[in-house]
Amino acid sequence: MQRKRRTTILVKGSMELARTLAEEILERYQVQIIQEPQQGLVMVKMRDQSQHTLFYIGEVLITECKVQIEDTIGLGIIQEQNPQKAYYLAIIDSAYNANLFETKAWEELLIREEKKNQELEEQERLQILKTKVDFTTMSL
Amino acid sequence: MGYVAVKGGSSAIEESIKRLQYQRIKAKKKIDVEVIQGTLRGLIDKIMSESSLYARELAALAIKQAEGNPEEATFILRAYRSTLPRKYYSQVVDTEDMRIERRISAALKDIPGGQILGASYDYRHRLLDFELYEEKIEDLEKLLQEFEAEGWSNSEEEASGAKQKTSEHSYTKVPKVISFLRAEGLLPPVKIDDSEPDDITRKSIEFPTRRSARLQTLTRGEAGAVTALGYAAIRGYGMVHPTVGELRVGYLPIHIDYPLQEGNEEDAVYIGEIEVTEVESLIPQVIEKEKGRKEIEFTVGYGLCYGQNETKAIAMSILDSCLAKKDLLSPTAVHDEEFVLLHIDAVEASGFISHLKLPHYVTFQSELDSLRKTKKKEENHESI
Repeated sequence: MQRKRRTTILVKGSMELARTLAEEILERYQVQIIQEPQQGLVMVKMRDQSQHTLFYIGEVLITECKVQIEDTIGLGIIQEQNPQKAYYLAIIDSAYNANLFETKAWEELLIREEKKNQELEEQERLQILKTKVDFTTMSL
Repeated sequence: MGYVAVKGGSSAIEESIKRLQYQRIKAKKKIDVEVIQGTLRGLIDKIMSESSLYARELAALAIKQAEGNPEEATFILRAYRSTLPRKYYSQVVDTEDMRIERRISAALKDIPGGQILGASYDYRHRLLDFELYEEKIEDLEKLLQEFEAEGWSNSEEEASGAKQKTSEHSYTKVPKVISFLRAEGLLPPVKIDDSEPDDITRKSIEFPTRRSARLQTLTRGEAGAVTALGYAAIRGYGMVHPTVGELRVGYLPIHIDYPLQEGNEEDAVYIGEIEVTEVESLIPQVIEKEKGRKEIEFTVGYGLCYGQNETKAIAMSILDSCLAKKDLLSPTAVHDEEFVLLHIDAVEASGFISHLKLPHYVTFQSELDSLRKTKKKEENHESI
């Protein structure tokens, strides 16, 4: 599973899943923290829909962490103040970068979490759809 | 007259700061940051937008520290932002990818994907709700359970119907109103422009501005200031008469390029999502064609800001349009980019006005001296 999909699942998903995967690695490998979780900013570049030019809307607070497993570095980044999850994400990223065999078994768990995330969004969507206007023309 | 250094204020200042702390706690009531974050959505959105920093929890903390004073909370959050390193730039975010919570058009009734009202104060009476005095956590939990039951599992049939409706018209991907007006040839076509935007937080704004600097300044403008100038523009101080083509509130995913390795689009890192309000206003203008023939053409004013800040986003779209008009015969203040862009920033405006409270003893003394001299001269003149 590629990084974009995987990080979307893990960032949106539960802390429990991130912890389970990271702890599996922590039990079997030496994980060295290269950079403790620390706050930083991401500047957001937007496409203006009127002229299709680019502009900056502002920054987003992130927490970032870097770890190393054997010779491979992994990066964990998440919005807001979330040092614990940033740490777990860095371990998971490093495990994928190092192509550790444990990651093969994670696919199923990640897909299950993705389904859960999608169901929650779907539930929200259905709620919002109730506010959709059904125009009817009045007969005079 | 030279400057005179004085001292003696330190202990008074220390006591003043203590007094401020006393004011915050004297009611012996405590409000948790978590409670602010969970209940003061409108204020948090305003502070994040004006601080130009999307950080809900920190905005809530700033609100607590500032006792709910938005100008102070924005100042605190901006100051904190300046201490943090900017680590990355996001990939270009396109609002076509918005997970919509609300989407309306005042210009067209029937739009593909429909009008979705979402959560809004627009359809409520503005009456004080005295029942909120009695609100209890148990009441909230019960209400939430009712909402959840209605939304998903109450009726399988209804849910599957709605699911089908969603997949047919997945409103997260509904076309933008301006896109289909463009496709019909009713709006002039535009080309993708990938020029690097200006960043007014790194390099002070220069006039004349580029569009990127204008939009960045407007989006972090103080809501009241942006609204006031937008209002002035449509009341007759500007040459614009807009209709809201589309207003959207929703969530946008934020991705960055993976910094440790080169990769393709699928190697990007998802970091989270931001809630924004987006407005495209349609503004008619008369264009002179050949042989004096006149034709109406629409231009698009653009507004986009953090959080659900609808009035601000509409006003921003009006001002965007005002500032794009360059060749007016008698431009008013709202068409003057220096006037608009240099006066809407919450921290700069409140900072400058506030500095008037600082001691001006020497300059004022000098003014008094001049006045005394003038008075004396007048008295001497009268006595001759």
